[in-house]
Amino acid sequence: MTRQSPKVGIYGFTGCAGDQLMILNCEDQLVDLFGATEIRSFVMAKSDNHEGDLDVAFIEGSISTEEQLKRLKEIRDRARLVVAIGTCACHGGPQAMKLGEGKWDEMYKKVYGSAKIHVSKAFEAQPIDAFVKVDLYIPGCPIDKGEFLGSVSKLVAGRHPYLFTAPVCLECRWKENPCILYAGRFCGGPLTKAGCGAVCPSHNLPCVGCWGPTNDLNVSSEYKLLKEKGYDPDEILKKIRKFGGANVAKLLKDLEKGKEAKP
Amino acid sequence: MRALNVEALTRVEGDGGITVTLDGKRVKSVTLDVHEGPRLIEQLVKGMTPADDLNVVPRVCAICTLSHRYAALRALEKAIGIRPPEKAQLTRELMMLGENVESHSLHTFLLALPDCLGYPSAIAMLNDYADDVKRALRLKKFGNHVMAATSGRIVHGENPILGGFGKYPTKKALEEIKLKSHELVPDAVRAVELFASLEYPTYSEADMVFMSVNAPNKQYGFAGESILISNGKEVNVEDYKKLTSERVVSHSFAKRSMYQDKPFTVGANARLVNMGKRLDGQAADLFKEHYSDRWLKNPLMNNLAQAIEMVWSLEHMPELVDKITSLENPPIEQPTREDGAGTGAVEAPRGTLYHHYEIKKGLIDVSDIITPTAQNLDDIERHMRLTAERMLAEEKGDDEIRLGLEMVARAYDPCISCATHLVTLKRI
Repeated sequence: MTRQSPKVGIYGFTGCAGDQLMILNCEDQLVDLFGATEIRSFVMAKSDNHEGDLDVAFIEGSISTEEQLKRLKEIRDRARLVVAIGTCACHGGPQAMKLGEGKWDEMYKKVYGSAKIHVSKAFEAQPIDAFVKVDLYIPGCPIDKGEFLGSVSKLVAGRHPYLFTAPVCLECRWKENPCILYAGRFCGGPLTKAGCGAVCPSHNLPCVGCWGPTNDLNVSSEYKLLKEKGYDPDEILKKIRKFGGANVAKLLKDLEKGKEAKP
Repeated sequence: MRALNVEALTRVEGDGGITVTLDGKRVKSVTLDVHEGPRLIEQLVKGMTPADDLNVVPRVCAICTLSHRYAALRALEKAIGIRPPEKAQLTRELMMLGENVESHSLHTFLLALPDCLGYPSAIAMLNDYADDVKRALRLKKFGNHVMAATSGRIVHGENPILGGFGKYPTKKALEEIKLKSHELVPDAVRAVELFASLEYPTYSEADMVFMSVNAPNKQYGFAGESILISNGKEVNVEDYKKLTSERVVSHSFAKRSMYQDKPFTVGANARLVNMGKRLDGQAADLFKEHYSDRWLKNPLMNNLAQAIEMVWSLEHMPELVDKITSLENPPIEQPTREDGAGTGAVEAPRGTLYHHYEIKKGLIDVSDIITPTAQNLDDIERHMRLTAERMLAEEKGDDEIRLGLEMVARAYDPCISCATHLVTLKRI
C-alpha cells in the first residue's frame, strides 16, 4: 500500500506572522517537513500555491475583516482538519484583549479618523473558532517548535497529537525555578497553559500569559493560589488578558462562580 | 480594455497586494494594497504600565520583534528617566545584530533570491543550489540563536526589560556566539558575491531620498538619537513627525509617510548610503567594491545592501561579546519619574522604526508607532509605477511585468504581516 503524503495548507490572518515564521525557523527540519507533507499553500514561503482539498489547514491569526472571514470559511470547507496555530488564532491575541467591551469603534476612529478605507470592512478581532469549527489548538506567542513539529509528526502518522493542558507552573517546577509569586511579584503562570518551557520565569521574569488560558482540571486551586497572594480578579484579568482576550475573562468568571458555588 | 489578474504577491511578510491599472499603454494607477486587518495596538496599550506595553508592542511584527522591543525600550526609558547600564546597552546591540542576520538571511536567500534565479521558492532551489539554501538556513539559525541567547526566545523573547535584562546571557553562551559568528562570515560573503553577480533590471530607477538613524560616535549601527537624510540634513529623533507625516489612504490599513511631500526609502540600502563609509573589516572592502551610483536610484540594490550588512553584523559580534563579558551583571535600573515623553528610533532590518510614548502618572497616555514598511509604501508605489510604465513602453508581456513589479515590492523586504496577497494587473 502506498501512502500519500498529507496535503497541507498554511495560512495567516490578523497577527504578526510569528507562527508561520516559527515554521520557517525549524531550520533543521524544514526540508524534511516539506518532504513528509505536500505543502499545497504557504504564501509567506513560496509562490507556487495551489488551493484545493486539504488534509490539514494550519491557520494563524485572528479574524478582523469581512474578506478574512470569507476566506476562513472557504478554507474550512475544503480542509479535513483545521488546526489553529498561535494565540491569535486560538484566543484572538493582543488585538482581541478588550473583546466584548464595546470600545472598538471608538479606538478604530482614533487610529484611522474618518478616512474611508475600502479594502474590506473591519471589525474587532476574534479567534477563528468564533466562526468555524477548530479541530486542534496549538497555542503560543509564538508557537513552540517542539509542540508544532510533534503535532505534525502525529498528524502525519494519523494519530492525535499530545499537547499540554497543565499551567506554566508545571514546567516551572521541572526547571526548578524559584517561584515568582512567592517572591512577591505577580505571575500569570498559574492560569496560563504550559508549552513554552516556562521561558519567562526561567529568566527571572513573570509569565505574561502569552499561551492563553489553561484548561487544566486543577485550575481552581491555581486560581486560589493567586488570590491567596492578594491579587483580585480585575488585576489578574488586566495582567493576563493581553493575550488570552475574552477567553481569559471567561475563565476568571467561571472560576469566581465556582468559588461562590462552594461554601 | 484589458484586465489581468495575477495570483499572489508571495514570499513577503504580510497580507497585501498590488493593483496596477493599465489604460492601453498608459499606467493609470499602481497601488500596494494592505489587506492585513487593523489591530489598533497603539490604542490598546493606552492605560498600561510601560512594562506591560513591552509585552504587547513587539507582537506588531514577529520578524522585527526585537527592533520593536528596542525602540520601545529607548522611548520608555527616556520618558520615565531610566539610564540603562552599559552592559544592558551592549547586550541590546548584540540582540539587534542577531535579528539583522536572521531577517536578512531569510529575506535575501529564501525570499528574494528565488525571483532572481527563477524559482517559486527556496525549497524548489534545493536541487540546483543546495549549498546556498543550506548556507541561508545556517545563517538564519545562528541569527535566531543570538536572538534567543539575548532575548530569551527565538521570537518575542521577554528578557530585555526596562533598566536591563531579566537574566544576562552567560559567558559560555556569549563565547559560543563569538566563535560561531566568526565561522559564518564566509557564508555571508557568499551572499554578497551571489547578489553582486546578478543582473538588476533598470526599469525602476529614479532619484531617491534615503533616511536612516545616525549611529553614535561616527560608527555604523542600528540605533541613534538623530536621523540622517541623504540630502545632507539631520533631524533629532524627537522631531520624527516632521519626517514621517503619517496619513491614511483608502486602499490600506497601513498608514503612509512622506518627507517634504515626497516619498523616501528606509532600509539597508538607506543605511549604507548614509553610513556605508563607516563600515570596517571585510564589510568595508565589499562595500567599496560593489557600491556605485546605481544604489542611489535602484531599490533592487537593497538585496545586496542587506548581504553586506549581514557580513558587518557577524564581524562585529566578537568585539561586542568581549565588551559584554568584561562587565559585571548590573542591577536593574528603576524609573526616576512617573511623567514624561520619549521617542526611540532604531534600525529594524527593513528600515527605521519609531516608537513614541507619553507617560502620565506611570501609565501610557499616548503611543505612536511608525514602522519602516509604512514609510516605504509610497516609494514602493512610485518605483512600481516607473517599472510598469517602462516595461509597457518596451512591450513586455504581462508575466514579465508582474515579476518586475513583484521584485521591486519584495526588494523592500516589506513586512505587512502575511496571508492572501494579490497582485492585480488591470488593463483597461
